[in-house]
Amino acid sequence: MERATIADKFSRTVVLLILFGGAIAFMVPFYITVAMSLKSQSELATTSMWAWPREVTFENYRTVLTNPLVSFSLFLRNTTFITTVSTIGTLFGSTVVAYGFARMNFAGKDRLFLVLLATMMLPGLLTMIPSYVVYAKIHWINTFYPLTVPAFFGGGAFNIFLLRQFYLGIPKELDEAAVIDGASHWIIFYRVLLPLSGPAIATIGIFSFMGAWRDFMGPLLYLNEPEKQTLELGLRTYQSLHDSQWHLIMASTVLVSIPIIVLFFVGQRYFVKGIVMTGLK
Amino acid sequence: MAFLNCTRIQKLRSRLTGVVSTLALALCATSVRAEQIQLTFRCWDGADNMPALLNAAKSFEKANPGISVRVQSVTDSYQEKLLAEVAAGIAPDVVMMDPGNIEKFAIRHALLPLNDMIAKSHYDVGAYYPNIIAAHTFHGQLFVLPRDIAPISVIYYNKRMFDEAGIPYPDGKWTWDFKERPELREHDFLWVIHHLTKKENDKVTQWGYAPAWQDLLWQQFSLSTGGRWADDYMHPMKLQYDDPRVMKAIQFTADLTLKYGWVPSATAISTVMQTSAKGAFAQQKLAMMQSGIWEVPGLRKEIVKGKPGYFDWDICMPPAFKDGTLWTTTGGSGYGIISGTKHPWEAWLLTKWMAGEPGLKELAATGLAQPAIRKMSLEPPFIPSADTPEDQRVPKNRIMMDKAANYVVFGPFGTEWSESSDFAGRVLSRVWDGSAKAVDIIPAANKEGQDRLTYLRTEGARPRFNWTVGGLVAFGLFGILVGWIYWPERKIRRTSREKRENRAAHMFVMPWILGVILFTAGPMLLSLLMSFADWDIIQPAKWRGIENFREAFFVDPRFWTSLKVTLIYTILAVPLGVASSLALALLLNVKVRGIPVWRTCYYLPSVASGVAASMIWKRIFQPDGGLLNAIIYGPDGHRNFLGIATLLKPLAESNGQVNWLNNEHLSLPALIIMSLWGAGGGMIILLAGLQGVPQFYYEAATLDGANPWHRFKNITVPMISPTLFFCVLTGFIGTFQSFTQALLMTNGGPNDSTMFFGLHLYQSGFQQLRMGYASALGWVLFGVVMIFTLLQLRLSKWVYYEGG
Repeated sequence: MERATIADKFSRTVVLLILFGGAIAFMVPFYITVAMSLKSQSELATTSMWAWPREVTFENYRTVLTNPLVSFSLFLRNTTFITTVSTIGTLFGSTVVAYGFARMNFAGKDRLFLVLLATMMLPGLLTMIPSYVVYAKIHWINTFYPLTVPAFFGGGAFNIFLLRQFYLGIPKELDEAAVIDGASHWIIFYRVLLPLSGPAIATIGIFSFMGAWRDFMGPLLYLNEPEKQTLELGLRTYQSLHDSQWHLIMASTVLVSIPIIVLFFVGQRYFVKGIVMTGLK
Repeated sequence: MAFLNCTRIQKLRSRLTGVVSTLALALCATSVRAEQIQLTFRCWDGADNMPALLNAAKSFEKANPGISVRVQSVTDSYQEKLLAEVAAGIAPDVVMMDPGNIEKFAIRHALLPLNDMIAKSHYDVGAYYPNIIAAHTFHGQLFVLPRDIAPISVIYYNKRMFDEAGIPYPDGKWTWDFKERPELREHDFLWVIHHLTKKENDKVTQWGYAPAWQDLLWQQFSLSTGGRWADDYMHPMKLQYDDPRVMKAIQFTADLTLKYGWVPSATAISTVMQTSAKGAFAQQKLAMMQSGIWEVPGLRKEIVKGKPGYFDWDICMPPAFKDGTLWTTTGGSGYGIISGTKHPWEAWLLTKWMAGEPGLKELAATGLAQPAIRKMSLEPPFIPSADTPEDQRVPKNRIMMDKAANYVVFGPFGTEWSESSDFAGRVLSRVWDGSAKAVDIIPAANKEGQDRLTYLRTEGARPRFNWTVGGLVAFGLFGILVGWIYWPERKIRRTSREKRENRAAHMFVMPWILGVILFTAGPMLLSLLMSFADWDIIQPAKWRGIENFREAFFVDPRFWTSLKVTLIYTILAVPLGVASSLALALLLNVKVRGIPVWRTCYYLPSVASGVAASMIWKRIFQPDGGLLNAIIYGPDGHRNFLGIATLLKPLAESNGQVNWLNNEHLSLPALIIMSLWGAGGGMIILLAGLQGVPQFYYEAATLDGANPWHRFKNITVPMISPTLFFCVLTGFIGTFQSFTQALLMTNGGPNDSTMFFGLHLYQSGFQQLRMGYASALGWVLFGVVMIFTLLQLRLSKWVYYEGG
């Protein structure tokens, strides 16, 4: 017994050390970014990159935020709008459709489900070009529509699949009780299943919010005007304007990363839970 | 009674007049608003030029009440975005355009020909430099009114350094030869560069000269010795990089860096000095810099009287070849009108204002652009006078620009040209870094480029794509899909209750079904049709049969390169990534303290956005001052961490360290390393899987005497194998399509070493507007992904599913 405990403690310390070292390695890029963003340009050119700035200055942030050509506050507004609308659409679409697959019987259900699975494996690159052509022809380019409307139509095959699994896990007795009380499918969905899906919905909501917030390809293809860009795209525009001015690039990087990191800390619980759910397929 | 009637009538009258007058006011207001025309004006100018343009736009609005102008600036991918917007019908009214891109727009009838409107306004185009008018003319029609001509023949020189070296300031009458001619002293270009270069212990502290970019120098040398790298610069049909004079000029340019050491290499400037040539000049690391006149505002901002680091500077003409021949390349731009504009006449008024004297006067004051109207290049505000404010006096010698405008060569032009000359351009990097001689590698590259140019130019007339037939085919395929879905149900008789449920269920599922039709199946079918066509969305589609696929497999060299790159990346990154995630998950599965902290540390990087991550890692990969090299080589550059430095020695550059993103052998490994930073994502999934393994399995095994390795191999691995398989499968599918990092960090380079398949697809579709070809590539990708997925499913016997 004694031996087991010592060996145990030893291995635990080793693991702790490795974890510590690895965590440092993973966090160092962030540290450098923040440190560089707080240095003035002259200090950046002269001091070692490891050093914490001798003089912490927020000048870079001020420069980034007051740039006349690139307005990060506008980007924030655009991004918030697009992300919120698309998340609402996703939640609406996926919950309703998943109920249909989980609790109802209809013609072609099995094969339609296969179609659902197939669309999960579809390479997005295949639909990228024709989608663009269609949007171009209906004058949706340079609007927010291509980034928000598709979310309302089914909300993503993956989310539907996830919710279906979740619903299947809810005992049918609750449904049957409601049916005895004369409930229609819509009532069962709205009054019975939906309230119980809190954690699943929260997870899907957070994930799709994060995904939409960080989306780069969509805005790159569909948003042309500088006034319509999102944070990701705007960061890229800013970077190309100030190539090799690292103090500004790092400051803008930190600025754009803050919302998403805050969101991560706030929704941490659901992250872990959500990934657990995706993993246990 | 009468009294009441009076008041009632009065009330009625007053109410009526009220109504009528409001209506009248409203009508007036709408009619005034109806006359308010809004024009959108787009340019690629940055912060330096924008004030001038905004001022000019404002003065235009004042002179033309009823027209308001919205000024936009797009500094990134200007041409591609504009072309895509023309295709989508949302292009601005007046756009900035340069000669090289006019053909692309003119053949698509995207630009309005200006000859008629010029005649109607009796506008005098003779006031402009004739060669820039010619460069903007296509098939006899002027499409763009030029605003500036920008000969790349401005040598900026540091007066203090000339004084120090005891050399008189250059008067532009100097010449050059392929070897230094000391007897001519300051009239020999090479002699001057030589004597302005200072060395200290083998390291150069002051460079004699640098071009703003490599090409401008060899092109000047080549043109001045009669070497032309295209047969017809307006409509090139032949690549001539293998002309001996061209190759000699290229090699000579490289030798100035490699053999003589008087000119810094491009990488030395950008990654070691971490600036541009202009920056190096402003920071007094460079005695002479050659570029166009547009560097002036930036230099004025950095070299300020009274501030440290100030020095007096001026400009002069570049040297002619010893026989007196001088030719340089040039820039130049102007404004054109998009043909889809709703207000062509007003757009013309704006164009001739901005490219005429009012607009050019504002521009000339910034010193950034030489006006295309000749007389404005000869007088203030472009030429400094006694009235010019102090800070705008420099450079004094701007009068030379008029002379320089006579020695310029425009072109070569055309999208096919830029795509095919890229083949030769790509191998030049090996000449610059000294790994190959021009005469050895250019002829082969020239042939490749020529083949490509011939292929693109001689496409021949193809029949129109028949959309009706295509539509029917698509419809038919769709019908087959629907049929397959509902086939098993055809004979089933349903009770009315079942029918009701059926209908209700379809209501629930309808959003998704619509979504599949509109956003998945529909686009897929369209993509299938397009893969047999040649289409740029603007012109009608042409039928190409299987030519797109044939071109991909047999003609396009980038096709196989990108497949190879993507395969290598995926085959390395996915297993490495999953292994790292597994390792991390195993570590986190041990009951140590502070698990949430560790979990956050490892997961956070995968949360950070893609663009942000690419910026961070770009900095990490920097050769001098980057994190990775600091670890390998130590802060002083001489350490050898884990012997990696010796391993990388053959790939190291002049300063002893490797340049990750600029080295064709290291760029892909660099991206793979970067992908490992996101291992936290997989870690959480695998951790969940690990925690799902029942404890008593381990306990039972330990009782039976199994050691940790046995426990791992026989319990852990099988139990998490479904999760592992999931990670690997989704990892493959996702990674195979990824290309954002390549787009952001290397743009496919260097030398196509990071040309991911997705990137090639993106470039074909959105930069060259070859939508048909890109669609074909998309289907190839689909096929490859399918094959790999099926293969993995086949080989998934190792996955152990509990419960049978």
